[in-house]
Amino acid sequence: MNKILIWRALARGVLLESIRRKDLWVVAILGFIIVCSAGALGFFGMSGLESFAKDLAASVLGGFSTILAIVTTGRLMPEETKNRTLYPLVARPISRFDLLFGKFLGGVAVAWISFLILCALTALALSIFGVKMEPIMLQYVMLKMMGLVVVCAVSLMLSTLMTPSAAVTMSFVILFGSSMLSRGLLMAFSTADPGVAPFYRVINGVLPQVSLFDIGGRAANTNWRLVPLWVIGALATYMVLYSAAMLSLSWAKFRRQAL
Amino acid sequence: MNGLRLPSNCADTDDGMKCAIEVNNLCVSYRGKDGRSIQAVQNLSFSVGQGEVVGFLGPNGAGKSSTLKSMMGFVQPKSGECLVFGEPSWSESSRSRIGYLPEVAMYYPHLNPLETLTLYGELQGLRGQRLYTQAMDLLNLVGLGKSTRTLNRQLSKGMLQRVGIAQSLLGSPDLLVLDEVTSGLDPIGRQELREIMLDMRRHGTTIFFSSHELAEVEMLCDRILIIDQGKLVDEKHVGNLKSNLRKFSLCYLGAPQSEGALTNSTTGITTARFDSKPELIEAIAQVQSAGLEVLDVVTEEGSLEQYFIEAIQEAA
Repeated sequence: MNKILIWRALARGVLLESIRRKDLWVVAILGFIIVCSAGALGFFGMSGLESFAKDLAASVLGGFSTILAIVTTGRLMPEETKNRTLYPLVARPISRFDLLFGKFLGGVAVAWISFLILCALTALALSIFGVKMEPIMLQYVMLKMMGLVVVCAVSLMLSTLMTPSAAVTMSFVILFGSSMLSRGLLMAFSTADPGVAPFYRVINGVLPQVSLFDIGGRAANTNWRLVPLWVIGALATYMVLYSAAMLSLSWAKFRRQAL
Repeated sequence: MNGLRLPSNCADTDDGMKCAIEVNNLCVSYRGKDGRSIQAVQNLSFSVGQGEVVGFLGPNGAGKSSTLKSMMGFVQPKSGECLVFGEPSWSESSRSRIGYLPEVAMYYPHLNPLETLTLYGELQGLRGQRLYTQAMDLLNLVGLGKSTRTLNRQLSKGMLQRVGIAQSLLGSPDLLVLDEVTSGLDPIGRQELREIMLDMRRHGTTIFFSSHELAEVEMLCDRILIIDQGKLVDEKHVGNLKSNLRKFSLCYLGAPQSEGALTNSTTGITTARFDSKPELIEAIAQVQSAGLEVLDVVTEEGSLEQYFIEAIQEAA
């Protein structure tokens, strides 16, 4: 059977459920808040505040979209088990990996659509007040979407290991704290004994480096040049490898799990 | 395939036909809340021939659902094997031939029955117009033709069970595995389901189902398997069982002619009970040769329920 069609069917189911559950209303409300905030800024005059406005918008977009991705993906599989909707799915002639991957793609689709809606609303609000968007903002959007794939993979992996609420909490800690943890681990690496130092490097390597995908601050600064293609390529490779590792861990747990 | 029945130990018959289901020494265990291992199924072995309709009976907690879950590959057996059409039951190829209805049928609350069936149909390998037509036909068949666009969360429990039945029939499966199939259905729904199952049976579909509704089992099944505490305690062909359960009473005027016959001292009528027809015929001949008047012959159909209770008590 065509695997792509299976994954597409599962992902479409997740997306449809998410739309009907009015998850995207949350996005609309957040978008409204962004527009109102931009309006308030515009009321006092944007002149000289363009970079600040864009930086703020990128931070808000990044934060909201990551939260939505974690909450959506983290509850996908546990809810299937809790609501007993899993049985008719696993009774079909599909592998458990197909099920997991299809659900993951659905989670990514929801995260991307939410992010793009927020981006569109933010861009609209800023353009009303005459803030110009440079091509690097498009790169910001693209890289952020790649980062959301990693976020979804981590959340899905954690949700197969622990309860949904624990998985969501852990995802927040890991994904929002990873840049802070990385800085600490690099400092620890530079000052630690040579025998212990590699240990810090390994931990740092295991942590998801989602901050690498966030060029919001740089994109807000008009002096920054476009990100070179090779950097985007390297980040895409990282995204694929890290997400594959997370999905493999999820599958290792889920493939023989008693349902 | 019509009406085909194979003996219960049907593995590889002379004509090369295989069993629909073959369970060999199946053991399923779970880890309890206190960390101890609980044996849900112990060395269970049975087989179901292609085209057979088999009822899987047992009290609550007997291991029925565990057996079905193991058959569907939801639970890894501790030991033993489940084969469906000669292949491991967890394999994708065997699952493509199975239609499964879980005990508690829950479906995505924010999808409607048509979308639900479309999703499952696509996972079954159906596409496009063929899938749409089949989904609509099945929804009409289970009486949901007018509710195809109503969200699942707005459907009653019985209607959801109908969605479940429809999804289990997607792709015209060769084997139907139904767990507590009639739960939540009203009498009309049960009758409709019975009709569907009889129709599937006529088309040679093998049906294996667990149920507490013994009247249903009696009407539909070729054979019953009774399980208790994870072990198979009895296995009977329903036709034979019915004739075995049948009792006969002979009423005549006069003194008892056989052992166990009781006479009403007021009316002088003697009633004798027999387990089989030959015994009855012999008794009638005896009564008539003694010059006594036969007043009545009564046939009492035994109930499967009574048999089931006795089988469980005997096993205990």
